[in-house]
Order: sequence, then structure tokens, then C-alpha cells
Amino acid sequence: MKKTSKLLAVLLAVVMVFSACSSGTAPTTTAPTGSGAKQDETTTKQDETTAPVVEVPWDGAYMEKDDFQAYVIHDLNLMVESMEEQLDDALYSKVKAAEADGEAAIMAANTVAEVKDAYAKAKTAVMEAVPLFDGIVSYKKESNAERTNVLGILERFAISTGLTGVSLFENGSYVMYNPRVTLGTENFIVGYGFGVLAEGSITADLEYESNPDWKRYYHVWETMDPGTLLYHNDKGSQVGDMYAYVAAAFYTNFMNDTKDGYDWVPELAKEKPVAVNDDDGDGMATTWKFEVRTGKDGLKYTIGSELESRQAFNNREVALEDYETAFKFLLTQSNKLERGTETANASSGAIAGAKEYYNATANGPSDEAWAKVGIKTFEEGGKSYFQVTFQEEQTQFYCMYYIGSSLYMPIPQEFIDLVGTNVDGVPQLFSYNNDKTESPVDNSLVLGPYYLERWDSEQQVVYKKNPNYVFADTKYQIGGVHTKIFPAAKDDQTAGINEFLAEHFDVASIPQDYLDQYRNDPRTRSTTGNSNFKINANACDQETWEYLFGVDGVVAQSAKEEYWDLKPLMGNHHFVQGVSYSIDRLTFASARGNIPSVDYLASNYMSDPENGLSYVTTEAHKKAVAQLLDDTDGYGYSLELARDYFRMALTELEAEGKITPGTKENPTVMEIEFAWMYPSHEESNHKEIKNFIETAFNDESVSGGLYKIDCKFWVGNEWSDVYYNKLMVGKFDFGFGSISGNSLDPIGFVSVLSSDQDISGNFTLNWGVDTNGTDDYPIVYDGYRWSFDALYNAVNSSVVAVQGKNQAPVTFEYTELVKNEDGSYTGSFTLTSSMPDKIKVTVTDVVCCNYERYRNGDKKYDEASLEEFTVEEKNGVYTVTFTVPADLAADYATGSGTSEDPQGITGFDLYYDQEVDGNLSTGLYYSVDDVFEVE
Amino acid sequence: MATSCRLPDFTKTKGFYFIMGKYVLKRIGLAFVTTFIILSLTFILVKLLPFERPIGADSQQIAYFDKQTNLGYVYRFENNQDEKYGEYLYRSPMDKGRSFYYYKVPVLEQYVRWLTNIVTKWEWGYSKSIMPNVSASVIIMERLPYSLRLNVISVIFSVPLGILLGIWAALKKNTMTDHTISTMVMVFISIPSFVLISFVLRLFCYELGWLPSTWPPATAPTKMKIMGYIIPVFCLSFGSICGYCRFVRAELCEVLESDYLLLARTKGLTRRQAIVRHALKNSMVPIFPSILSEFIGILGGSMILESLYGIPGIGKLFITSLTTKDYDILFVDMAIFTTLGLLFGVLTDLSYGFIDPRIRMGAKK
Repeated sequence: MKKTSKLLAVLLAVVMVFSACSSGTAPTTTAPTGSGAKQDETTTKQDETTAPVVEVPWDGAYMEKDDFQAYVIHDLNLMVESMEEQLDDALYSKVKAAEADGEAAIMAANTVAEVKDAYAKAKTAVMEAVPLFDGIVSYKKESNAERTNVLGILERFAISTGLTGVSLFENGSYVMYNPRVTLGTENFIVGYGFGVLAEGSITADLEYESNPDWKRYYHVWETMDPGTLLYHNDKGSQVGDMYAYVAAAFYTNFMNDTKDGYDWVPELAKEKPVAVNDDDGDGMATTWKFEVRTGKDGLKYTIGSELESRQAFNNREVALEDYETAFKFLLTQSNKLERGTETANASSGAIAGAKEYYNATANGPSDEAWAKVGIKTFEEGGKSYFQVTFQEEQTQFYCMYYIGSSLYMPIPQEFIDLVGTNVDGVPQLFSYNNDKTESPVDNSLVLGPYYLERWDSEQQVVYKKNPNYVFADTKYQIGGVHTKIFPAAKDDQTAGINEFLAEHFDVASIPQDYLDQYRNDPRTRSTTGNSNFKINANACDQETWEYLFGVDGVVAQSAKEEYWDLKPLMGNHHFVQGVSYSIDRLTFASARGNIPSVDYLASNYMSDPENGLSYVTTEAHKKAVAQLLDDTDGYGYSLELARDYFRMALTELEAEGKITPGTKENPTVMEIEFAWMYPSHEESNHKEIKNFIETAFNDESVSGGLYKIDCKFWVGNEWSDVYYNKLMVGKFDFGFGSISGNSLDPIGFVSVLSSDQDISGNFTLNWGVDTNGTDDYPIVYDGYRWSFDALYNAVNSSVVAVQGKNQAPVTFEYTELVKNEDGSYTGSFTLTSSMPDKIKVTVTDVVCCNYERYRNGDKKYDEASLEEFTVEEKNGVYTVTFTVPADLAADYATGSGTSEDPQGITGFDLYYDQEVDGNLSTGLYYSVDDVFEVE
Repeated sequence: MATSCRLPDFTKTKGFYFIMGKYVLKRIGLAFVTTFIILSLTFILVKLLPFERPIGADSQQIAYFDKQTNLGYVYRFENNQDEKYGEYLYRSPMDKGRSFYYYKVPVLEQYVRWLTNIVTKWEWGYSKSIMPNVSASVIIMERLPYSLRLNVISVIFSVPLGILLGIWAALKKNTMTDHTISTMVMVFISIPSFVLISFVLRLFCYELGWLPSTWPPATAPTKMKIMGYIIPVFCLSFGSICGYCRFVRAELCEVLESDYLLLARTKGLTRRQAIVRHALKNSMVPIFPSILSEFIGILGGSMILESLYGIPGIGKLFITSLTTKDYDILFVDMAIFTTLGLLFGVLTDLSYGFIDPRIRMGAKK
């Protein structure tokens, strides 16, 4: 690093001495001490010709003054650098001036506390030079390039504040292919692969295969037999991977002509979606339509079953209504399909009316409810069309993406009825029936590139090329896929490669033990991964931790005796930086066949999903991670930097009085706990990480042996305990884990960095700063300063920002019910507009809910609109006063006698329309619980 | 002591069949009670394991818990039970300010439901993940023949070989032959089965390429299917051969040094006659019942082999059902192992009476 910063610091010191001399003020000087040794007090002989100066000795324990100042100035420089591109010249000049003043103040400081104080003031001055954003804005419709820039800014903030944790590796690997397989491309395409099946071919027989018809099939393996291909009811990746062989979708991907990316191609659709209601011409719409293939275009089903009842469906033409049937099948709640529940409850790409239909079909399909779902098919001008309406506006690409799931592959209702349901009411499509007289081969009617040819339980699953597939003539030229069920590979990492080397399989990944031998083999290819594994950090201070996780924590609640023992080291950002620099990722990851990485997002996250541009290849990302890579081995490892940052952390913490040194003989030992998923991680991961950190920290040169760090190991009963018992409840120091999101929407995925659980979906894994604050570290975009949450919302949807912070458009208060003399009740809501001139509210209804009967009685839900309510508005504050008639209150209080022990539970829904900067949202509501008195 | 003399035929004793019948019924009754206790304990302990939760967004959580509700592991309420009912797992917001609350179905309630289905409908449940939809008993009945076939072949192969080696070692006691056999037995009996299997796979499948490296599929040619038996039978038999060899050698050596055999020789029998007529017969008394218990021992030992070699038997099924938490399968599998184990225990005990007439089952002192 930081050689430039050091030089700058020295230069600045010279300038200061010069300027001080020239102005007649004597400079203060300090004697440098040896790095790593605790300093003795030093005195400086004063020049008798200059004015007397009060000498304050440098109190930094483990770092020389100029080094310390240089690092602090480096922090300041990085902060200013992050603002440069987003400010005009005038504003940037102000920032630079504040930076220069800050640097001077830091250089003039004589103690650790003074340096830190000068830095804090400089940071404030730099940030205050940039105005905070106030207003309502959305950047959702900006170009991919611009949104990528915003993502870079958000990522930089997260790295600078420690919210990304310490990344270790990306789960890419080395894979070997049998030379008889010609790959579609020799270079792995992120988000696509090598194009083995779609664009590849097989040029020779597999001798080991005993069935002559299968000798040119692509031979792969799975560790277990999933027993079904019903992807609609399975959350694992295995069924999804196998279902992909037989499935078709509206849109698919094929390799581009230059073999370095992929294109989105209509598969069951005949064209790309056309916007139906793009009223403002911005390319976004909620309703899209496109022409689809049917039997008229020669699209036919295929089934491999020899049962007579199933053969009737072989080569049957696809009807237009089969497209709708697929959606109905998935979304009907009584079908109990896990992915149906997920689709109905989806927060992004949600289909209008899907959730309502799902909720209305607990007892079976409902035509009435289906009529309100945003899925329609129709004939127009002799062509067959499919139309979808989303809840929110989508671009053409995202329409293709969201509607492109293979779960929506058409299916005739007669076939679903023929196959029937099992004893639990789950459809037997793609599955065995209860007594196993029918197999998935008999129950899979498909349109994909392959169809099921054979399924021998626990032995093999065989797929044959589908002659009816849309692109059967040009793509998928390999005649079939043979999947061997190979359980030995589950526990024995070498089993797969042994089978491959014996030429029983066409592909296998190289395990750790074989890497040295086969890494450079001509059959070997490297792939990128889909997830980055990291050690997440808990850098909260006590106050923040209690706010988040204390007795009344907003994220999770803990009894006082169960409070996490926060370690002073963890609260120091320089320590976490030191940990990051101390890990030799190249050694660690390479030994495991993974890819060393300091990135938060894996390579498969696309900043331009339509054109297959990976975010990690963009300039925005490179700028964000530069601070982790400068002056390292290229993978964020530098023992020298790690030790410097540890020295800095110890210097700061000791100056703050948070830690006390021991002696060489009896050093202060600081324990840091690492939480892992599996007991095996102790051997496979923890020992090496512990060694990296302790080697750096416990070196004599860091603290002269006065402090030692001891990295402890923790593991729960279940792999998920590290999430639920540690990371998500703040009871950890470092915790291993990774989560993956929608790889085509990386800017949506960084929601998990927010400390606001409404934004992160309860999936924050790193803790420290308040992401809706504007004081910790600047986020500057478009000439303004923002909080992380505000800019995140602006780029993903829209934001109402007040003083740079994300703000709810309307806030609510409720005044509890008061019983009147006539038995009626009066209550009130107070709605406060965040921006009275831009946000208007119209209250449309107040509804009283019978929760007593619903929750404690016969479960029947009743509600009644209250006719008596008034609304008064004053300066954006709306007071809604309502009255519950006596007879209604009496009825609802006891749940009409259906509760054994009536509690009088009721609730009120306040319905309102909200106009934000001219955009009207209708049918919004706010709900509260209350109680009536029970006579 | 001359045990080679003819003993009285106890089957002709008054009330023999009544006593034996009573004894057998008592043992079967006890076996039934033991099976019930073992299955009940297994059910309760397994169900007390922590409830696994998914990692993902709210929509994924709702989907997961709804599925668990459909499978009968979780109850979904529309109000908070305040821990009055089961273990709280998750809350998902509905519309209009309402929520679904998910609670784990109490273990005892699951137990009563499971037991009721077995007792009243002989319904052992359905697979949840190994082969979704399919009846647990159908799956077991499909897998059982693979395991039984392998084990029967293994017993047929290992018992004579083990006994012959044992006899040979005993007859050649303290010679180089005996030392070689005994040393080999000690070495091979000490090798864990998974090491042996891995070694055999590497040598005969990957290095020499003589044998299939996994269990041949149903579509494989007959020759390959037959060859597919070699490794599993060899691996299953290996321990048994060593065990029997050691056992037979020890028994026979003891008998060969006994007074009655010396007496037989002094009465003029040749060494061969003495061994064949007296020594072998008597030394087999404790060995034959152990063949029955060996059978169930091998069945248990085949779990590892079945997993490593990909044999679709009940041993592998047991491990898979445990790791995938397909509990209905696990319990049926457990019931099979328990029942077979206890059944062979009863048969073993009964066999003593038939093999050695001095042993009388169920007789009072």
C-alpha cells in the first residue's frame, strides 16, 4: 500500500515544517521509534532560537507516528477518492479543501487520540461539503451501466465499513472432460458453461457402456436418486438439474456466435415480449404479450412410457390452453407444490393476482379467482398469444427472465388428471405413484431437448433426444444423457474422478488430493462459481448490538444473561482489515480447487444479464475492491499490511483504554470465535484460517509479544445453526457462510447488506454500522450524499429520502380504543406525510376486523366497514377518528359466542390511497390490533 | 467323561412339545415387545432432533413451512399459540395484517398418529424424499431381495470356507500352515470393511479393470451382473471367513486335546476316525447356531458396502433415509432389521436344543 500515502505524509510534513518556519511558528517534532517496540517517552531538544513549544510525546504503542498518520490519511484519501466521479468541480474542490485541511490537522496531531480526533473532524468536514439528498427519486429505469456504477458505490461503502465480511473463495472448480466429448466452447462462459449438450457433440463410443444404444450418450452421475422429476415440489438443485434435460420454457439461452457469451432465444415463444401498456414509452410495462408455438407450429409432446394410456399423449399437439394449465397447476394451493407457494409469494417478478389465486385455492382450483390472475392466452389474427401482467413494471428483459422459468412448461389438463394425485393430494406428475406401478417415465410428458427413456431406481436415469423439441435439428446433437446413481461419491471425494479416469463417466470435478496431478492435464477445464464463501463479521459496538439484539432488539431479542460478549478487537475496523490481509487466499483456495476471491459477489452475478456481462469484470467493481487488493499478492494477501493494520488496531484500542497489554511472559490473550457449519470444518478450514491470522497477529513485531490472539472454533448441531443461532442473531465474532441470490439482479441482492430487516428480508449476516445512517461513511451519488438504504431503494424501486436517509412516505400512529357511554368505541389514527407538499394521502375506508372469532372461535373471518370516521388534515398530518357502533363492538367482542374464553380481540385496517410525487398508489392499508371489553 | 455315548431322546419326553411351544411363543412375544420398544424409542429420539430450517427469502421460507405442514410435521395456525402448542418455528405475514404461525407438531402426537396408522391400517407411511409418494413398505420390499440375496450367497460362500480353513489350521496346529492361516486371519479381521472395499475396488476395478466398479444396472448383460456379485460377496464374506476360521480352530483344538478323544484313540480309532466321528461333531455344537446370528451380522455390515458399491439394498436405504430425514422409510427399515435380528435370535436359541440334545429349552430346573 500505502507507499504513496506514506510518501504523501512525509511530503506534507515537509511542507508543514516549511510553512510553519516561514510563518515563524516552530514545528513540533517527535522521535520515531522502532516499529513493534513499545515506545519510551522521548524528549526533543528545543531550538533555542525558536519560540518555546509544549512537547507532547507520541503515545502510540505499536506504531510510529508517521506510519500511523500515513494510514489514517490513507483512509481519508480513500474516502475522498470514492466521491470524485459523482461531484461537479465546485463541490469536489470543497471536498478536496476539507481533505487538505484534514491532512494538515492529522499531521499536526501529537497523540493517537489527537490523530483520531483530527480524522473524525476531517471526515465530518469532507462529508458535510456534500449536500444530503432530499426528495423522491427512482433510478430503477437507468441503464445497466449506470445501475452498475451505483452498485459499485454501494459495494465500496460496504467494504469500507466492513459489511462485506472477509471473502475467502469462489466455489469454482477444475473439471475434467472425456476427450470424446467436444465442448461447445473451450472457455467457460459465466452463467452458461461450456455448452456441452446444447452445442457440443460426442465423437467416439464409451467402451464401458454395455448398451450399444447408449454408447454415445453423455455419461454423468448423481450421488443419489431423487426419486422424482417434479421440480415444482422440490427445492434442491438436483431435481432442477435433471428436470432441465426434459423441460422447455418460453425463452432459453444459447451460446452466441463468437462463443464468448450467450443470447436469449425464444423457445416456446416465437418472439420477444411486446409491451402492452408502456404508456410513457420508457420501455417498462406491467403487461407483456408474445406469440407462442402450438400444435399449429408443429409443437408436440413426447413421452417415453410404453403404457397404452400414456402413449395416447405421445406426439399430441400442444394446445394454447395448455400454457395456462401449467400456471394453474403450479399456483393452485391444493396441489401443495412448494415452488407454487414460492411463486405466489414472490417479492420480485410477481404475477398480478397470483397470490390471491393461491390463497383462494386451498380446496381446489377456482375459475373465479383465476379470472383475476395476470395470465391470459388468446388467438388474434390466426396467431396464438400469451399475455402476462406483473404486479410491477418490468423491462422486456426482465419479463423474459421472470416468465422464462421451465416450471411453466405447458401440460394438458387431461394428462394431469390421468396421472392423478398421491395419498397426500400431491400430483404424481414426473413421479412414481404410491404403489410404484408407474414410474417417472410413465408420468413425464415433456417438450424439452430430451425425454425420459428409463429410470431404474437407485441405479440409473436415462434420457433420450426428443425429436419433437423445437430446436431438435440444430441444437442438442448428443443422442442422450445417462445419469448413473453413484452414492459412493457422496462421502468419497475421489470416487467420481476414479470412475472418470477409468472412462466410465464423461465428466468429473477434480478433488483436492488430485489437483496437483491433474490441474494442467489437457482434459482439464476451470469453471467459475455461483457463490462466494466468506467469514462474516460482527463489528457492532455495545449500543448498536443492544439496539439490534438486546432485550427489545429490533432484529432479535436476547435476555441480558445471553448477551453476546462483544470483543473490542471486532469493533475496530482496522483489525478486520488486518484479518483480511492476513489470509493467503491463493494457498487456501487453490488447495481446495476453488478460486481465491476478495469479492462479495461471485462471477455469475450479471451487471448486464441480457448480454452476459459479469459484474466482477466491470470498472465499478474493480474500483470498489481496489482498496483490498493494492499492494497485495493480487488476492488480498499481504503479511506486511496485515501486521501494520493489527499494530494500528492495537494502538487505537490501547489509546482508547479498551485493552490492556500483558507482559512478554504473560501476554494478554484475546479470544476470537469462528463459527462454522460442520464439525469437519475444523480440519478443513478453521485450522488454516487460524494459522494465517495467528501467524500475522502473534508475531513479535506486532506487539512485542504483549498481546496474543487465540482463534476458537464453534459448530452447531445443524449446518444452519451458524445462520440462525449465530449470524442472524448477532451472537458471533466471525461466522462462515454464504448466501446466494438472483444472479441476474446483483443490485437487488445487496439488500442483504442492509441492517434494515425490511430491506434485507431478515438476511443480514454482517453487522456494524446503521445502513440508514449518513455519518459513518459517505455514499455520494449524483452530487448528493445518501444512506446505503436510501440509494439501494432508489436504484431498485424508488425512495423518499429525508436528509439522505430512507424514509417511509407516511408514518402511522394509533390511539387505542376508548369505550363510550353508549357502548360504542372511539379510536384514531394519525398519518404523517414525510413531505407534505409531495406526498398526499386519501383515506378511503376504516375496517373493523373480527379477530376474536377468527383466532379463538370458529376461524371464520368477518370484517365490517365503519361508516363513522372523519379525516382532518393539517400540514401533512392526517387525523382519522372512527367510531365502532355498540352492537358491532358487542358482537365482535365475544366472537358471536364461538370463543370458549373470549378476549375481545379485534383489529382495524385503515385503507388509503397515496400519491407520491404525482404517482398514485391505491388500496394500501395499515393494520393494528386492539381489544373490546368483554362483558 | 464320554460324551459320545447315545443320549436320551428328549422329544419323546412327556410334555416336550407343550413346553417348547410355550417357550417359542414366549420368545416371539418378547421379540414383539422388544421390537415395539426399539421402534418407539427410535421414533421419539429421531423426532427430537432439531428441526432443520432453510436459508432463504420469505417466499422460500413460506414455501418450505407450507410443505412441512402438508407433510404433517408442522401445524399452521392463524394466531400465536404463545408456546402452548409445540415448538414455535416461523411466522409468515398474510394479507390484512394477519399472519400464519408455524409450530412443530409435538413428538408424542406424531408418535400416536404413526402408531395408530400401523395398528389400524398397517400403513407405515410414505417416502418424503427418497422416492416421494411411494409407500415405505413398497420401497422396502423392493430393496430387501437385493440385501437378502447378497447375504445368503455370502453365508453360503463364507461358512464352508471359514470352517475348512479353521479345521485345516487346527489339524496343522503349531505348524507353518497354522501360523500362516492364523496370521492372515488376524491381519484381515483387523482391517475395517470400508478399507477393504476401497482396496478391492481400486485393485480389481480401477487398476486391473477386471470387475465392475459399481453395482451393474438392471440393463447390464448377465455376465456383468454375475461379475457384479464378486466384490460384494467377497467383501461381505471376508470377515466371516476369518471369524469362522478362528472360531473353528479354537473349538477343534480344544476338542482335539480333550480326554474323550484320547479315550477314543486308545479304544482303537484312527486319528481320522476320531476326528471325523467325535471331534468335528462336538466342535460344531457352538458353531452352527452362530451361523444364524452371523446372517444378521452380515446384514448390518452390508450398509457400508451397499453405499460404497451402489447396491440398492436395505442397508444403503437405512443410511440414506437417515441422512435425508425420510423418517417413515427409516422406521420400516429399522423394523426389518430389528425383526430379523430378534427372529434369528429366537431361531439360534432354538437351534441349540436340536443340535445339542443336552440343552432343553424352557425346561425348569
